[in-house]
Amino acid sequence: MVAADLSVILPEILLSVFAMAALLAGVYGGKDRWAPMLVWAASAAMLLIAAFIGLRGAPGAVAFGGMFVDDAFSRFAKIVVLVSAAAVLAMSQDYMQRRGILRFEYPILIVLAAVGMMMMVSAGDLMALYMGLELQSLALYVVASLRRDSAKSTEAGLKYFVLGALSSGLLLYGASLVYGYTGTTLFSGIVQVAGQGDISLGLLFGLVFVIAGLAFKVSAVPFHMWTPDVYEGAPTPVTAFFATAPKVAAMALFARVLHDAFGGAVRDWSQVIALLSVLSMFLGAIAAIGQTNIKRLMAYSSIAHMGYALIGLAAGTALGVQALLVYMAIYVTMNVGTFAFILMMERDGQPVTDINALRMYSRREPARALAMLILLFSLAGVPPMLGFFAKLAVWQAGLDAGLVWLVVASAVASAIGAFYYLRIVFYMYFGEEDGDEVETNTSPVLYAFLMGSAAIMVLGIANMFGVDQAAAAAAAVLVN
Amino acid sequence: MSAAKTEASASGNGWVGLVPVALAASLFVWFLSFVPQIGAGEVVRLSWDWVPSLGIALSFLFDGLSLTFALLISGIGTLVLLYSNTYLAGHPQYARFALFLTSFMLAMLGLVLADNLIAIFVFWELTTITSYLLIGFGHETYKGRRSALQALFVTGAGALAMLAGFILLGFSMGSFELSEILAQGDALKAHAMYLPILILILAGTFTKSAQFPFHFWLPNAMAAPTPVSAFLHSATMVKGGVYLMARLHPGMAGTDVWFWTLTVAGAFTAVFASFLALRQTDLKQALAYTTLMALGTLTLFLGQTSAYAMTAFAAFLIVHSLYKAGLFLVVGCIDHGTGTREADILGGLARAMPVTAAAAALSALSMAGVPPFLGFIGKELKYAGALEVQAMETVVVGALVLANALMLAVAAVVAYRPFWRPAGGAMPHTPHEAPWPMLAGPVILAVLGAFFGLFPGVLQWALVDPTVAALTGGDLHAKELKLWAGVNMPLILSAVTVALGLAIYAGHRSLRAALIRATDAGPNFDRGWDRFLEGLKALAAWQTRVLQSGQLRSYIFTVFATVLVGLGGTILARGVWQGFPDLSGVTWMNVALMALILIGAIMAAITRSRITAIASLGASGIGVAMIFIAFGAPDVAITQLLVETLVVVLVAYALLRLPQLDRPGERDWRPWDAVLALGVGAVVTVTLLAVLATPFDRRLTTYFETASWPEAFGRNIVNVILVDFRALDTFGEIAVVVIAALSAYALLRTTTDKAAKPATQKDKAS
Repeated sequence: MVAADLSVILPEILLSVFAMAALLAGVYGGKDRWAPMLVWAASAAMLLIAAFIGLRGAPGAVAFGGMFVDDAFSRFAKIVVLVSAAAVLAMSQDYMQRRGILRFEYPILIVLAAVGMMMMVSAGDLMALYMGLELQSLALYVVASLRRDSAKSTEAGLKYFVLGALSSGLLLYGASLVYGYTGTTLFSGIVQVAGQGDISLGLLFGLVFVIAGLAFKVSAVPFHMWTPDVYEGAPTPVTAFFATAPKVAAMALFARVLHDAFGGAVRDWSQVIALLSVLSMFLGAIAAIGQTNIKRLMAYSSIAHMGYALIGLAAGTALGVQALLVYMAIYVTMNVGTFAFILMMERDGQPVTDINALRMYSRREPARALAMLILLFSLAGVPPMLGFFAKLAVWQAGLDAGLVWLVVASAVASAIGAFYYLRIVFYMYFGEEDGDEVETNTSPVLYAFLMGSAAIMVLGIANMFGVDQAAAAAAAVLVN
Repeated sequence: MSAAKTEASASGNGWVGLVPVALAASLFVWFLSFVPQIGAGEVVRLSWDWVPSLGIALSFLFDGLSLTFALLISGIGTLVLLYSNTYLAGHPQYARFALFLTSFMLAMLGLVLADNLIAIFVFWELTTITSYLLIGFGHETYKGRRSALQALFVTGAGALAMLAGFILLGFSMGSFELSEILAQGDALKAHAMYLPILILILAGTFTKSAQFPFHFWLPNAMAAPTPVSAFLHSATMVKGGVYLMARLHPGMAGTDVWFWTLTVAGAFTAVFASFLALRQTDLKQALAYTTLMALGTLTLFLGQTSAYAMTAFAAFLIVHSLYKAGLFLVVGCIDHGTGTREADILGGLARAMPVTAAAAALSALSMAGVPPFLGFIGKELKYAGALEVQAMETVVVGALVLANALMLAVAAVVAYRPFWRPAGGAMPHTPHEAPWPMLAGPVILAVLGAFFGLFPGVLQWALVDPTVAALTGGDLHAKELKLWAGVNMPLILSAVTVALGLAIYAGHRSLRAALIRATDAGPNFDRGWDRFLEGLKALAAWQTRVLQSGQLRSYIFTVFATVLVGLGGTILARGVWQGFPDLSGVTWMNVALMALILIGAIMAAITRSRITAIASLGASGIGVAMIFIAFGAPDVAITQLLVETLVVVLVAYALLRLPQLDRPGERDWRPWDAVLALGVGAVVTVTLLAVLATPFDRRLTTYFETASWPEAFGRNIVNVILVDFRALDTFGEIAVVVIAALSAYALLRTTTDKAAKPATQKDKAS
């Protein structure tokens, strides 16, 4: 029995063992001198685990009495999480080393966060959920303030921690109410109680608090305030990480809780999610307009994107979850490329984050400017880039579920939001040079990620590399 | 000087300039080969799968409407590409320009030929992007960049609304193939979603076709090089919106909403734009506004369903593309030959530029609607169609007469004054004739206008009949295109138009001055756009100031305010208040504990001393722990006491080391925080009361009650739970407390060592 359970969580175990081994190696070995090697090893380990999960082939299984669920849905989310984490880790090595902030703990913390995320997307129980969430969050709090000598970085870490603790409190309060009114923490047990007609008031309050806690993790408005400050304050590779894997994990966890535990009460939460979605889309679209710091801009961008993705969740259908997964996969790919570019931006070896420095960039680096143009158009959802198909998928799901107002609102929001993406394009192609131009470093790793991501945005429109099919299969097991 | 320039111009840009021309020409010929088939009433459909999971297919439809557009786009495209090769000869970035223009043409062809809604949208946006690049091509100037961005945002925003409409349409009708949707037009019109679909799609088409009140971007976009204006704003991009409305006509027209929206917007745009056209002194700007007038007229006719209106639409569509593209190119020739486009300066060019003058005259006569040109036939049909409008005929006819008369005046301003009247000032260059590649376009287009006017039967058979069939789903036949239809109402109206137009031209200078005064006084949509953008930026700045202040306190405030609103709203909506609870079971001990908690909390909030605040919080926490004891949960109480003690010690240790942040003597009065705290407290209290009033799931309690003796051999249920049922939990808790204590010890030890040194240094310094 235990052996069968352990074999189900084998990927998590392997990755955790790797993290422990790497920690020991770091502490007793070369400390920070080994950090670059550990970064690459961690990146490779996560890729291997992702391949392992993808090729495993074993049918889905439930372990530890239902607390841990391994199914097509969790596998899809885990692969996206691991691959994006590996990509961001690989991108950060050169940047962090040159600025002297590459500690050997960094890759280990990222791996531990990834283990937490794997737990999150596989959670079948409120306890497992909380455990995964905190494992992830604690690792993230630390990496946010990795740059200990920078006031901004430490402030970012502190803010993230305090607000994160607050949201965890809300989540736990909700979880205890849910437990009190269903008598179980297992999703499979909750859904039996919550699925019978109107859910009781206590359970409803519990649900609302759980949603509030999770909304913080996906940085949905009005629980988003940490996002711009943390994105700006954290070292850029960490920001890139924040913008990718944790978002996927939190969104998948959100979908898992709402469908697995409250699948019978879609009416009760659909409106709440729709409200979070519409607020996020509009705040993300409008607030970014005034930004000149590209990291803050990407923070608002991610808030808006979470709003669009939440449409798929608000739909409350299998089509919605499929759209959500497709959206997140495409979103992550776009962000990896965009952050690869942001990591390249520097002047005299110092990182640059002001978008004004990109004026007439196309004249100096036409290839990179074109790649960035494709990515920005894709982020704005302009066809025929892949980002458009992501939006199309959630809109179809929203309309299919009768959320016409939400889809129309999101069309308005994305029109406003297009403004700031296109403003960057505008600077790169039409801006007036003012002497403070950005230089871009020539790291081949970053170049490869930038170009690869842009190429996917264009080539993906042929058949999305089959991601839509995989997402459909994943959604089918979650919603039935 | 001028000879040398002509020579350089004639050489063009080598193969970079000629390949696109050849491509466009071969496309034109290919489309032409469809004419016999389509003219005979056939419809050709080609289809490939694309993203089946999202219902997207790459399917193309050749019928009268799409073929007409395809021919106009590829034909005028060929001429414009040939023209620009000379106009921009030797331009360092000509390759880029040719690439943009060719891509734009291909996107436009895709738009008019696609049958799948999503594919249409993709091509639609491609035209937006490529036109952005084209309009911004002259981006050395601030104006060029600003107008490119403006055109992009206005049309892009509309397009997104349209996409929402498309998806809604596809879901409502169960198919994303237009040909399938339009086949069930009656079901569509009766559908509950008809109105939202219509509004959303019209938002897209009105912005693209610059219908009032979205008209302001089009004249601004004239900052583009002239060939671009000729292409984008005569035959192609702006007609994209008109095309789509025409494409949807068989499925969506015929309802009151459709009729009123299109008729009113179209008629108003037509008249409004004609006046603004006369106001302009820049020839290109004047033409830009007449394009608006044409778009308004086309929209107006699409609002109708009669055979005359449909024929008028088809005929005017072709007429307008021919003469407007021709005139734009003529203006380009004038600009090229003289260096200016100011109507007040230009004059006497007929001698220096005879071919241009002739082409301009032919096109302008067609524009003015004078027989025997195609423009005349178009105008007669317009009047015939307007007389059959289902309501407000007089207004519509009046609007059209006024607009056409103004058109005639503008035609005279553009094609008569510069060539045949004396110059109004010195021109930057000595006027010289344009080289032949630049003349080919205007001449061919002008001659076609005359040719089709004399032989309308060709056009009727090849394009107008199939277009009308496509517009009405094959229900109606086109009316005949003819020069002489006897003395009838349209002919009388034409006579009135010509007389009125000549009168307006005679007084156009004073009228212009009046118009300038009037429009300056009226609302300015372009400035409105700027204000809209500023407003957005101000909103963003406000957001940053208020929500994103950077202060943790205000973030926490927002979170709690949200909780307050969310919970309070739910409570109000559900009406959960069930009366004041029964307090008979409350003992003096409970009251004392409550008082301890309350006093602790209040003290923590109001004290200015850190140590007092920490101690008060600790007291509050101990009160909570005591409550657990009072209600029979000693295990929880013990854990709580442990944690409280640890927290007080650690926090006190950390906080007391921090520098004093509050300046002494400063009042620290935060009434809003107090209000919020009281609000959240009240709402949570009500929530708890409501939650406790609902039946509690007692399964667990019952389980432990019944199972504690038979399974764990213990009568004290709490003990049994701690050491037996949840033994692992207890073990975990112990481990956590130990680890916390250990790390606290480690922390205290290291910080004591480090903190000691700077503190002493500071002391020395002070």
